[in-house]
Amino acid sequence: MTDVQDKPAAIAETGGGVVATLFRFQSVFGLLAVFVAAIIFSPRRDGQILFVSADNLANVVRAVSEIGIIAVGMTFVILIGGIDLSVGAVLGLAAVGSAVLMVESDWGFLPSVVVVLLIGLVFGALQGMATSMIGIQSFIVTLAGLQIARGLARIWSDGQGVAIAYGDGPDEAPESFAILGERTFGGLVPIPVLIFAVVAIAAVVFLRVSAFSRHLYAVGGNEKAARLSGVPVTRVKIAVFAVCGLLAALAGIVHAVQLNQGSPNDGIGYELDAIAAVVIGGTSLAGGRGSVAGTVAGALLLGVLNNILALNNIDSNIQLLIKGLVIVAAAALQRLRPTS
Amino acid sequence: MRNLKLPLAAAAVAALVLAGCGTTSERTSDQPSAQGAKACKGADGKYVIGMSQANVAEPYRQRMDDDIKAAAAEVPQFEVKFADAAQDNAKQVADVENYITQQIDLLIISPNEAKPLTAVVKKAYDKGIPVLVLDRKVEGDAYTGFIGGDNVQIGTEAGKYVAEKVLPNGGTVVELKGLAGATPQAERNQGFATGIAANPKIKIIATASGDWLREKGQAQMDALLKANPKIDVVYAHNDPMAEGAYLAAKAVGREKEMKFIGIDALPIPSGGIKAVEQGRLTATFTYPTNGKEAIAAAKKLLVDCTTIDKTQTLPTRLIDKANAAAIYAEENPTG
Repeated sequence: MTDVQDKPAAIAETGGGVVATLFRFQSVFGLLAVFVAAIIFSPRRDGQILFVSADNLANVVRAVSEIGIIAVGMTFVILIGGIDLSVGAVLGLAAVGSAVLMVESDWGFLPSVVVVLLIGLVFGALQGMATSMIGIQSFIVTLAGLQIARGLARIWSDGQGVAIAYGDGPDEAPESFAILGERTFGGLVPIPVLIFAVVAIAAVVFLRVSAFSRHLYAVGGNEKAARLSGVPVTRVKIAVFAVCGLLAALAGIVHAVQLNQGSPNDGIGYELDAIAAVVIGGTSLAGGRGSVAGTVAGALLLGVLNNILALNNIDSNIQLLIKGLVIVAAAALQRLRPTS
Repeated sequence: MRNLKLPLAAAAVAALVLAGCGTTSERTSDQPSAQGAKACKGADGKYVIGMSQANVAEPYRQRMDDDIKAAAAEVPQFEVKFADAAQDNAKQVADVENYITQQIDLLIISPNEAKPLTAVVKKAYDKGIPVLVLDRKVEGDAYTGFIGGDNVQIGTEAGKYVAEKVLPNGGTVVELKGLAGATPQAERNQGFATGIAANPKIKIIATASGDWLREKGQAQMDALLKANPKIDVVYAHNDPMAEGAYLAAKAVGREKEMKFIGIDALPIPSGGIKAVEQGRLTATFTYPTNGKEAIAAAKKLLVDCTTIDKTQTLPTRLIDKANAAAIYAEENPTG
């Protein structure tokens, strides 16, 4: 992608007719298609479509929320032409951190969450510095970051999952933490889904209104040109990696509360699921083009696909094949997309 | 974004309308108890069983699934579905939730870890689905039955075998342990110490951690062989590590000097029973996959309408040269 874009053109492209619209929102239409297919192929019982039962839909979105939160941060990183392989390990580190601070160190809810989020933020910022100031490719930096975060998580937890029990006593996490794993609105909407929704909406709005987003697309479109035209490339990169680390840590907190445990081995491979969601969402791995809305649709598409394959008891090995093909198909669609 | 609103809104509306149409009448109301009494429709019923496996990449767990499949094929009323969590707790939670959505008649689960799976297993149990937990436990008592082996007892049997049969006049033992921090590792270690205590002339001269892996067992054994000029017995916490140790000893021409003892005895071509039959290992001890027993318990609950024990501990069996071929054939009736 060598075209210089002086505004967030990719999400504000004008005109183009039906075809362009189809391509621009391929993941949204893809999501709709998969959703309809899921209804058609859903197993039924007593005339009831199991897929669309409120409980099942809540499960689908809840299962997606962690990857979704990570994928929003990943979208920013990929928009500037980078990649972050450390997010799964940072999730594990944050899950361990939440559990150790609240259960073993007896910290309160708020200080624990703030410190864990800060750890993610700083970890991401350091990776951003390494890639922007030393000039190491982000693939290498975050590959190293993956190992470091995983190592830190193992050291912090003594290599063991830290179980979380709730209560006022010592070795118990505050009850207020447990709320993050519960459901609201009449037991229908899981709190992790609300957190994911808030993160996604904030990211969409941010990309629409802030001047910073123009810098972001500029760096991803053509870093050299952006630098020449006065964009603070180094600051943009550090900020983007910091946000990605922060969101990975947030996902780690959500992860810990849902599983009642902070395990140093959790989140292995989550970076790949997040990247898959971003790619299906139509964001170009070359940078400079893509949207958070697409990523959200991509994450939901993967979640619905996982769910309907499981409800139909498709063999787990075949499931892997199907998911792989969907990712390839999404990437192929991007190649067909008419350039603006 | 304005172009996005319409399709999203349409999807949301569609979801709400459809969700409203499909009323969620769960079976909670008519089946308050998960003891199987109400789930039982007798021999005329048809039953869908969901099996949630922690990680089929481990041969032991693949064999557990295979045993369940084979045993269920003998029960015409049963249809078994399988899900694999690929060692991911979050995935296994989703797998069980999906089974609940499908309104299965019975859940079999071999949990990846206890704590993260406890809540979702309880959720299934509270909805009236009988739950059989295999190999690894969950916390609390919200399940119908647990079936598993006893690692302390297996270690003790291995220790007694070494003390009485292999080294009655005493000798030296090196121990290759499983992954540090894993419960079976601690239990197989502790049981063995108890077992050899009867013969004070036996000394454990070295221990090393092989992390359950063949290649790690081999590497550790390389070092142990250099450090120890005389080794009589290698006791490994599983067969792959014992096989790795055998390879290390063979590489320096010392494999005849010592006996190799393993645990697990999987009845598969790459498993411990074959290794004993072919003479690489002297003995191994079965660690039950619990698959057959799980289907037998499911049959009791669903077809025979009886109850089962809350905890069923399966005994271990010694596999040596004398019985290896016969037991392999017995465990693989068609092949």
